Amino acid sequence: MKRTVRTAAVGAVLMLLAACGSSDEGASNGDGPDAVTVGLIPIVDVAPIYLGDEQGFFADRGIELTLETGQGGASTIPGVVSGQFQFGFANVTSLLIAQTKGLPLKVLTAGNSTTGDEDADFGGVVVPEDSDIEDAAGLAGKTVAVNQLNNIGDTTIREVVDQAGGDHSDIKFVELPFPDMPAAVEEGRVDAAWVVEPFLTITTKQGARQVASNFAATHTELMVAAYVTSRELIESNPDLVKRFTEAMNESLTYAQENPDEARRILGTYTEIDEDTAKDLTLPRWPTEINVDSVQRLADLANQHGLVDGEPDVRALLP
Amino acid sequence: MTSTIGVARRSESSLLIAWAKRALLVLGLPIVLIVAWWLATANSTSFYWPPLRTILEVFGATWFEGRMGTDVAPSLVRLGAGYALALVLGVTVGVAVGSSPTLRAVVEPVLEFFRAIPPPVLVPVLILFAGIGDGMKVLVIVSGAIWPILLNTVEGVRSIDEVLRDTARCYRFRRRARLLHLVLRGASPQIVTGARQALSIAIILMVISEMFAATNGLGFSIIQFQRSFAIPQMFSGIILLGLIGVALSLLFRVVESRAMAWHRGLHHTQRGGN
Repeated sequence: MKRTVRTAAVGAVLMLLAACGSSDEGASNGDGPDAVTVGLIPIVDVAPIYLGDEQGFFADRGIELTLETGQGGASTIPGVVSGQFQFGFANVTSLLIAQTKGLPLKVLTAGNSTTGDEDADFGGVVVPEDSDIEDAAGLAGKTVAVNQLNNIGDTTIREVVDQAGGDHSDIKFVELPFPDMPAAVEEGRVDAAWVVEPFLTITTKQGARQVASNFAATHTELMVAAYVTSRELIESNPDLVKRFTEAMNESLTYAQENPDEARRILGTYTEIDEDTAKDLTLPRWPTEINVDSVQRLADLANQHGLVDGEPDVRALLP
Repeated sequence: MTSTIGVARRSESSLLIAWAKRALLVLGLPIVLIVAWWLATANSTSFYWPPLRTILEVFGATWFEGRMGTDVAPSLVRLGAGYALALVLGVTVGVAVGSSPTLRAVVEPVLEFFRAIPPPVLVPVLILFAGIGDGMKVLVIVSGAIWPILLNTVEGVRSIDEVLRDTARCYRFRRRARLLHLVLRGASPQIVTGARQALSIAIILMVISEMFAATNGLGFSIIQFQRSFAIPQMFSGIILLGLIGVALSLLFRVVESRAMAWHRGLHHTQRGGN
């Protein structure tokens, strides 16, 4: 009796597996496009995937995109690992932390990168107009708002404060959502805030001053975020992964070459108004991964105690 | 002689049995659940469902090597401050509103309005008023925990026996004596009920308040663990949170049984017991 139950169970599982296998193959054989869900954050950084979807770069390769927006790496990465999302967009520091915890992730292509220009980057640290903080070194001993503690914001800020000759160990970081930061800076509730576009443009229009450019100063070609998938999908459906990566690269290049298109598409998935979209600084969207900059973030994560051991950059990157 | 010893023995052993029965009743389900959890996850390789053994292994290192002072203590201090403030405010306002029908008619709709707003959505607003420090977090706790206390106090004060009120008047109780011995004492069973509900709400809001603009705390740590993919540590935090909840409710029961002993006695005699 027991045996028959077990056999039946094994049979059912095998049938399920077979069903999964055949549906995957069927899709790539042209029985209709592969339905793919991508987990991302609805911010400026992901404009290329929205543009690429609109331009049909994914449809051309038999991929039907569903873009699922969430809170950030902390929700995207579990989604990718559990298979709820086939692909995800997450910042490099989150990915490095996930890698040290043994999550089976693999970077496919670059997400977005710093402009490398310390005077015109898409993220930076701002202070109220009348603040006595003049430069990055002045942030030592102050309260700085970041959107997420122990992540890419505070680790790069610590780095630029050190570079400027300050002491990063007595910066007090507090967590605030980006949309709450302009008010917090204006009212002086925090001494400084790390903001990314469009909030950098919004706060500077309100009179805030930028005192540090934490991405560009950390590495002139810093890759900030990347598109990832799970190792499981790479093994089970390498063809889909390949087609997604190609479509993604075409989208990145298109966005890089057509900044006005990128500014236009922002209005379709964010609440950014036209004026701000016109003025804000776009990130760079290269397709090649700057390994050196990822290693730099890995070293910083290790140095600042974000990870228990040294991240394996090679294992994470393609 | 022998028979008395026998009786004593019997009552002793029956006492022991009753005690064991009670212990089994109290601890039975938790033990079953723990064993079920242990067995269900024993061979788990899922990243997000680590074995209970792994969780318990990291428990000590996670919480007893520094975090008790840096995270758990600040959380409990904020909880204590918020809860105490909610008690004082809730009882004060509740007594005032309960004692005056006019005041009650005026403020009741407003109270119902504020009571219906979930405190978590107030957090961004409270940040504007109270900044991002401990004050904001305490206010979040107060803003949720005050309602059961306040509304129960109003009900308690309102439902004090008219005969008792008249008696106090006849004996010319002074204001202070009337407040202490008639109003507060009369309403105390309901105040205690409200306070018990408020305690669990306060614990929930302690965690929620640490999701915004926090730099330390128990809820803050749990979220940090979740975000940095330290899943066993995250589960250990959730377990600790549960244990703190149990400990606080036990503490509440001890305080309640001391403070309300007179009430239980009264209840007993009124029902004809002895």
